[in-house]
Amino acid sequence: MWRNKAGDPNISQWCEQIKQATTDHKTVQISGHYSKVLLDQQAEQLSVSGYEGIVSYEPSELVVTVKAGTKLSELKAVLAQHNQMLGFEPPDYGDSTIGGTYACALTGPSRPFRGILRDFVLGTKLIDGQGRYMRFGGRMIKNVAGYDVSRMLVGSKGSMALVTEMSLRVIPLVEERTYCMEMPENEAILLMNKMAGTSLPLSAAAYYQGKFYYRVAGEHPIQTNRVGVTEISSHIWVALNPFRPQLPSDVKLWRLDVESTTPAIENTIAVGSCGMRRWVASKEKPNHPYTTLWQSYFAPRNNDTPRVAHLKKGLRDVFDPFHVFKQM
Amino acid sequence: MEVIQALRNVFHQDSLLVGEEACRPFECDALSAYREHPLAVVLPENVEQVKQALRICKQYQVPVITRGSGTGLAGGTLPLKNGIVLGLSKLNKIIKIDPLQRTAIVQPGVRNIVVSEAVAHHGLYYAPDPSSQIACSIGGNVAENSGGVHCLKYGLTVHNVTSIKIIDMDGTESVFDEKDDGIDLLALMNGSEGLLGVIVEIKLKLLPKPEAAQVVMAAFHSVGDCADAVTRVLEQGIIPAGLEMMDKFSIMAAEAFAKVGYPTEAEALLLCEVDGSHDQVQVDAKRVADILTQAGAYQIQLSQNEAQRIALWKGRKNAFPAVGRFSPDYYCMDGTIPRSQLAFILEEIAKLSTKYGLKVANVFHAGDGNLHPLIMYDANKPGELATTEAFGGEILKLCVDVGGTITGEHGVGVEKLNAMCHQYDTPELEIFHGIKAIFDDTGLLNPGKAVPTLHRCAEVSHMHVHNNQLPHPHLERF
Repeated sequence: MWRNKAGDPNISQWCEQIKQATTDHKTVQISGHYSKVLLDQQAEQLSVSGYEGIVSYEPSELVVTVKAGTKLSELKAVLAQHNQMLGFEPPDYGDSTIGGTYACALTGPSRPFRGILRDFVLGTKLIDGQGRYMRFGGRMIKNVAGYDVSRMLVGSKGSMALVTEMSLRVIPLVEERTYCMEMPENEAILLMNKMAGTSLPLSAAAYYQGKFYYRVAGEHPIQTNRVGVTEISSHIWVALNPFRPQLPSDVKLWRLDVESTTPAIENTIAVGSCGMRRWVASKEKPNHPYTTLWQSYFAPRNNDTPRVAHLKKGLRDVFDPFHVFKQM
Repeated sequence: MEVIQALRNVFHQDSLLVGEEACRPFECDALSAYREHPLAVVLPENVEQVKQALRICKQYQVPVITRGSGTGLAGGTLPLKNGIVLGLSKLNKIIKIDPLQRTAIVQPGVRNIVVSEAVAHHGLYYAPDPSSQIACSIGGNVAENSGGVHCLKYGLTVHNVTSIKIIDMDGTESVFDEKDDGIDLLALMNGSEGLLGVIVEIKLKLLPKPEAAQVVMAAFHSVGDCADAVTRVLEQGIIPAGLEMMDKFSIMAAEAFAKVGYPTEAEALLLCEVDGSHDQVQVDAKRVADILTQAGAYQIQLSQNEAQRIALWKGRKNAFPAVGRFSPDYYCMDGTIPRSQLAFILEEIAKLSTKYGLKVANVFHAGDGNLHPLIMYDANKPGELATTEAFGGEILKLCVDVGGTITGEHGVGVEKLNAMCHQYDTPELEIFHGIKAIFDDTGLLNPGKAVPTLHRCAEVSHMHVHNNQLPHPHLERF
């Protein structure tokens, strides 16, 4: 019933392009506005950048369905009109699309409090590597029929399927206030973890340039009567998300995902996600299992165990048996 | 049997149950209409024994049905005649609690409620609270991606698990963590119904206990008004911690059971709980009460203290057993629908109820669209179970047709295999089977559950064309 009865020309064209690529043994690179990926001259391009717009939006159902090429700025504006927002606060690299954000699994500062991007994914429509148009999940907050393919593909970076449309859970826009106090890094890490375990409705906590920043949502006790606490504007959360520091050319930026209580790590220039994320600026790769080079946002870690690597390779073959989609 | 001999070399007598009497408690889960006697039941006491059991089963090509507490409602842990049941109830240790990090690492056999009890003195709790939380295990929760009455605000199991360790049929360990990059295998494991691996360790998110909670009860003269009222609450930017709706029959049954003062003349009753800081709760409860009044509630009651709050919930929490008192058996459905379709669906269910001659009570998680029609029947009347299942099948079909799904939180198991054929087409089912084969190339992990074979779906659609009512839908057909 749903399967492209209206005959969306984009969908049928993409299905054809992918099928053709399987017979021509060509590689297809999926892209949006190239804000997170470099153009590969060798690969055939498949751009979702013009495939944009809200497919359906029922504010009271707390769900929006959106085409993959829709710009984040546009989506956020539509939601804001109905006093709603994306709970995962995706970073906008300038013209970022929701599809690229999904492909890269990007979540902003509210992560420990509201969840990561995939937590908000309810369903997707996609075209697999054989040019088959499919639908997984739906628009329901609860759905346990079949494997959770639409959440699994978050972070797949266009390497397994062309995700054309997604349904996302949205949350109400709430009034938030941002506070700040000076303190050493280790004290801030301890304090943010302690605060997250209290009834204070935190929605973000970070440490940057000697200051501990935290954001509180809704009704809450006065913070500024605590010694050293001042209220500031919310701009800090934009400055940290996306985080794009100016570094000397021989220094690299690394994103580390750690246990939230991990003490200060050498060469850290910012602590995000209530301690769960550390941004390290160094020439050498920090010795930590969940370290990602953040020069190009796509650099994979390649440190899976043989079994996990086998599973990932196998799953890729399930979705894209002829290896049409470019690997990152 | 060779496989049992091999298992005897590893397991003591009290960890290896063989024979009809010993295995009887494992013949079914909470969907007791389906029963099967397994070859044997193995109850490992540590992860090493899980690995050994799996290797032995692989060697002898014996299917493995992993089981937690057996509270599943869809027959997901129904044994196979030629398979063993791998019961994980002895893996019931809390390995580590980190109050500062707000996490707990547990074994799969730990019961859901035990986690919250163990961390209560830190002011923390584990949010997902399926109604079977006293008995159900965390491992089972992950396998089913269980929900609960608070999941609109606090999420399902998948939102509250940050890492798991699984074992495959070779006995190899793998860890899937929220911090991994690339595709999200952790999300995939949630709700995979024991088909992809045996979960042996889970890291859970813990949340600070809300300072306060208050419930607003509102009575309506029509179901449609009640559904609209819910819509308005959500439109106003309030995400209630719990938002439950009952129809007339459920209200009557719950009141007869719990005697908490529900207005039995109402067509629909709404329980809306808000929680958070004291200040927030005060503001929100009043706003909810105002919105519901404006939306046409003819009676509103706010809980004034904790005892009243618990009392108001008591009826709803016991709705299933309460309905059970009016019928020898009941069959619980689990579809989800867009809330805007609720009034329409309830009307259609009422028509079907007349058509099949079976009564229905409806309980609805109104915030997330999860509808639980309880079909009342008598299993001792010949043919009535089959009629009930056909009725249930039609309800699920209806849910899919209005844009919903066949199961919100109970899982597919064996029960909803035919309904899966209605929700998914061949390409999607092929992908599902492909995923299964990558994780379990032996096909021995809980075979035949959760995803129907393509043959079966071909049969189902064939039968739908020629005969709208399926006889014996639980039988495999080729």
